Amino acid sequence: MQRFFLTIGVSLLVLLAQTTLVPHLAIGTIIPDLLLIWIVYLGISRGHVPAMTAGFFLGLLMDTLAGDDGMLGLSSLTKTVAGFLAGYTFNENKILQILSGYQFLLILAAASLVHDLLYFLIFLQGADLAWNEAIVRYGLPTTLYTLAAALLPLFVFARRHRTP
Amino acid sequence: MLKRLYDYAVLFKEYFLLALFLLLSTALLARNNSDQVRAIRSSTLAAAGVLQEVFGFVPAYFALRHENRVLRELNLTLSDEVNRLRESRLENIRLRQMLGLKERPAFPYISARVVGAQLQTGRNTLTIDAGERNGVRSAMPVVTDQGLAGKVIATSTGFSVVQTLMHKDSRVSARVQRSRVNGIIRWNAGRMLQLMHVPKTLDVQTGDMIITSEFSSIFPPGIRIGVVSATRQIPGELFQVVDVSPSVDFDRLEEVFVAAFTPDSSRIALQRRLQE
Repeated sequence: MQRFFLTIGVSLLVLLAQTTLVPHLAIGTIIPDLLLIWIVYLGISRGHVPAMTAGFFLGLLMDTLAGDDGMLGLSSLTKTVAGFLAGYTFNENKILQILSGYQFLLILAAASLVHDLLYFLIFLQGADLAWNEAIVRYGLPTTLYTLAAALLPLFVFARRHRTP
Repeated sequence: MLKRLYDYAVLFKEYFLLALFLLLSTALLARNNSDQVRAIRSSTLAAAGVLQEVFGFVPAYFALRHENRVLRELNLTLSDEVNRLRESRLENIRLRQMLGLKERPAFPYISARVVGAQLQTGRNTLTIDAGERNGVRSAMPVVTDQGLAGKVIATSTGFSVVQTLMHKDSRVSARVQRSRVNGIIRWNAGRMLQLMHVPKTLDVQTGDMIITSEFSSIFPPGIRIGVVSATRQIPGELFQVVDVSPSVDFDRLEEVFVAAFTPDSSRIALQRRLQE
């Protein structure tokens, strides 16, 4: 039960950081997606259900904050899928090993790319913006920036993994 | 039978949960304009706005010295410009009276602080700390001292969400100030805007100022949007490509003004009647 409330607490903190502090780290209009890092972390360390649940509710809150743009439900959908994919990598015996190595970055990159592909496929419906252009200008840079931001937790896990 | 179904549900719980969340998300996407969804948005916006306001001081503090210097420089430039504009305005009033032209209506500005920014993969919106109790309504234009920033798309009692020009749904009727060529400004999915629907034969040059035009029913005319940074002619295309660098620096937006501009209702009614 304690772990459940801790997960909710950390989820809300990550959401708060994403909406208040992260926009000030923007390179142009590209920002790292801390929520996705957290969802992938949950997928690797706890499996499908916590990752998908966090993905759905955090995505829903992000959609709500985006204003009345007719896309409520979009981030919840894409982040649920990302959580589901990350959940496949759950292995109780290798959690720290995955989190402290390049596998974490690979899983995050894959989840981020699928997340962005799905996101733009729906987001750009009816708009006269090219889908591939949006992926190149937004999807890939966002994935790279998210990977860079994920280096910090990776180093923390690597240190913990090395400490006997 | 029920026991078996339950066993299946437990065994494949992740797939059931995935289906449930996808179903819920899709249902929400389909019901985006309902009153209930709008009410939920408004309440969440109010709660999140309070939190964002609390944490909003952190970056503002670090940017304070830079901002002070920029403001001092701007103050000098503007003082000089105000003097010249005062003269021009008096002259303009005299000339309008001579020609019998109608005076453009003035409208109040509501100042607001940017307390949150959503730069989420193409949904570039801002949260500001002015809402319905300050007189802010949906579709009101939002400007800064640099020019047009966007328009209000959602409001709660104390906060509003602003759709910036860097949004896929943003469209603004615009005009080249020098040659009076009209077009539509939209975002190009990068850091630039584009002036659309400008035939190749019309006169648009690099460095031209782009302003809002009289054709818009949302934005008042004459607000700066940006400067033409490049023009390109693509063979076989009817229109030229006009890249516009926005006047507003969206990376450093901290203070904005909501223009309490309400378009002429009789004009909108007439336009609607003609469309029908």
